[in-house]
Amino acid sequence: MIQAQSLTKHYGSKTAVDGVDFTVQPGKVTGFLGPNGAGKSTTMRMIVGLDRPSLGSVIVNGKPYHEHKAPLREVGVLLDAKAVHTGRSAYNHLRAMAATHSIPTSRVHEVINLTGLESVARKRVGGFSLGMGQRLGIAAALLGDPATLILDEPVNGLDPEGVQWVRKLTKQLAAEGRTVLLSSHLMSEMALTADHIIVLGRGRVIADASVAEIIASAAQNTVRVRTPHTAALASLLAQENVTITNVEPDVLEITGLSVNEIGDRAAAAQISLHELATVSASLEDAYMKLTQNEVEYRTGDTHTEEEAAR
Amino acid sequence: MTTQTAPTTTRASFVPAGSGLSFTGLLRSETIKLWSLRSTYWSFSLVVVASLGIAVLMAFAMSAQSMGYDAETGTPMVMGDAQLFVLVATTGIGFGQLIVAVLGVLSISGEYASGMIKSTLTAVPNRLPALWSKVIVLFAFTFLVGLFSVVGSFLVAMPILGSKDITADLFDVDVFLPLLGNVLFLALIAVFAVGIGTILRSSAGGIATVLGITMLLPVVLGILSSFVEWIGDIMPFLFTTAGTEIITPNTMESWQALLVVMAWVAVSLGTAAFLLKRRDA
Repeated sequence: MIQAQSLTKHYGSKTAVDGVDFTVQPGKVTGFLGPNGAGKSTTMRMIVGLDRPSLGSVIVNGKPYHEHKAPLREVGVLLDAKAVHTGRSAYNHLRAMAATHSIPTSRVHEVINLTGLESVARKRVGGFSLGMGQRLGIAAALLGDPATLILDEPVNGLDPEGVQWVRKLTKQLAAEGRTVLLSSHLMSEMALTADHIIVLGRGRVIADASVAEIIASAAQNTVRVRTPHTAALASLLAQENVTITNVEPDVLEITGLSVNEIGDRAAAAQISLHELATVSASLEDAYMKLTQNEVEYRTGDTHTEEEAAR
Repeated sequence: MTTQTAPTTTRASFVPAGSGLSFTGLLRSETIKLWSLRSTYWSFSLVVVASLGIAVLMAFAMSAQSMGYDAETGTPMVMGDAQLFVLVATTGIGFGQLIVAVLGVLSISGEYASGMIKSTLTAVPNRLPALWSKVIVLFAFTFLVGLFSVVGSFLVAMPILGSKDITADLFDVDVFLPLLGNVLFLALIAVFAVGIGTILRSSAGGIATVLGITMLLPVVLGILSSFVEWIGDIMPFLFTTAGTEIITPNTMESWQALLVVMAWVAVSLGTAAFLLKRRDA
C-alpha cells in the first residue's frame, strides 16, 4: 500500500508535483497515467526516497521507505532501464543488488529465468537493447520478492510477447495481494492490465477511480449508423445535446441518443438502416478528454490529417 | 526470447526473517561491484606492474656511488642500504597513486554516469552506509594491492641490489615501516578520490580535481612560494607533501603528517556524506 499526503516537489521555481493525495491499494493493479511532465516519475522517485518531497509525505507499506529494515523486500522499483552500470554483466548487477539484503544467489537465477535473460545474463549491460534493459530492470525489481511493485513504463521497448508477459505478471502479482503501481502511455495496454487508474496532470491528481468509472465519467458512448439516407436521418435526429458526425458518406456517428431510440425513430420515419451499433468509449478517449487541458508539451495540431485518414 | 510466468514469486511471507539490509551485506555488494568491472583489473594490474617494473630498472641503475655529492660540503652523500631499498621499492607507487586516484573517482562517478546510483540508493535508502561500505572495500583492496606491489618490488630488487653488495632485511623497522606508510598513503588517496567523486558526481571533473589537488597544487604553490613567503609555510600541509612526510619526515613527525592526510580525507568524505544525504539522487 502506498499513501501520499499533500505530496509536493519543487525544482527551483517549477512545481513538478503539486500537493497530491492518493492511496494505492494492495490486491489490484493501479495504472498511473498522465502526459509527459505531469509528475509521474517524480512521484515514483519520492516514494522510494530518491527525491526528497518539498512538502507533504508518502509512506509505503506503513512507513516512510527509508525506515524499512529490508527496503528491497518491501518495494521493487523499475524507474528507468538505465539504472545499471553499463560495464557490468546483468548477472553481476543482480548479484550485487541481492548481496545488500543477503538475498541468496538462487533467487538471482530465479529472476533471470523469470525474465528470460538466461542467454544474455553474462554479457555486459552496455550492449543490451532497450527491451533487454527493461527485462533486467524488472528482474531487479522482483529480486526481493517485494510486497509493493512500482514500475515506470515497464513495457517500453518490449516485444509483443514481453508486453503480454508484463500484463500477466502484474495481474498475477496483484492477485497475490501485492500492491502494483504501473505507469504507461499505452492506453490500450493499460485498459487490459489495470483495475484502478490515477491520472496526473501538471502535478495534480485529476482522476482517481476504477477503469470503468473513468471511462463512464469522461467519455460518452457513440452510436454508429450506416444508412443510404444520412441527410434525412440527421435532420430527423437533430436536437439539443445530440451530436451527429458524418464520418463516411453513408456512416453517421451519433452521441446523446441510445441505439434503441435511433432504431425506433428511423423505423417510424421509414428510413432504412444497414448498420446500427454502439461503439464503446475507450480508456484512451477518456484519458484524452481528462487531460486535454493538462498537457504540458503539446504537439502541433494533426487533427486534419487524422480526419483525412479515416 | 521467451519468458515464463512461473509461480516462483508466491511466498507465505513477504519478508522472510534474516534477509534484511546489513552492513556485511553492503560490504559484499561493494566487493562484487568492484570486481565485476574490467577497469578494476586493469587499474590494479597497472599499479603492480609499474611498481615492479620501476623497481627492477632502479635496482639495476643504483649503486652506492650514484647518490651524488652534497652541494655545500662536496662530500659524497651516501644513503643507507635500508633507505636505498625503500626508494627502489616505492618509486613506482607514484604511478600507482595516479591510477588509484582515477579508480577512486570512477568507483562512484561511474554510478552517477550510468544511473546505477539509483539502484544503489533504493537498496540503501539511508545512503551513508552505501558510501562507507564503498570506502572500506576500496581502501582494503587498494591497501592489499599496494602491499603486494611494494613487497614484490622489494623482493625483485633484492637479488639485483644484492649483487652490488647492497642488502636489507624486509622486516627491518627502517624498511618495513616506510613501505607500510607508502601503502597506507596509496589507499588513502583512493578513499580521498571517492569523496571528491561523490561531491562532483562527474568522472571528468572528479579526476581533474583529484589530480589537481594531489599533483598540480604542490607544483604551483611550490613556484609561488618563492614570491610569497606564507605559501611556503602552508606547503607541508598539502595533501601530497604531507603524504611524503609520512614516509620521510622533514618539517613534521610521521604521525603528524598522517594526521594532516587524514584531515584531507575527512574533509573530502565528510562533504561527500553531507551532500549525498541531502541531494536528490
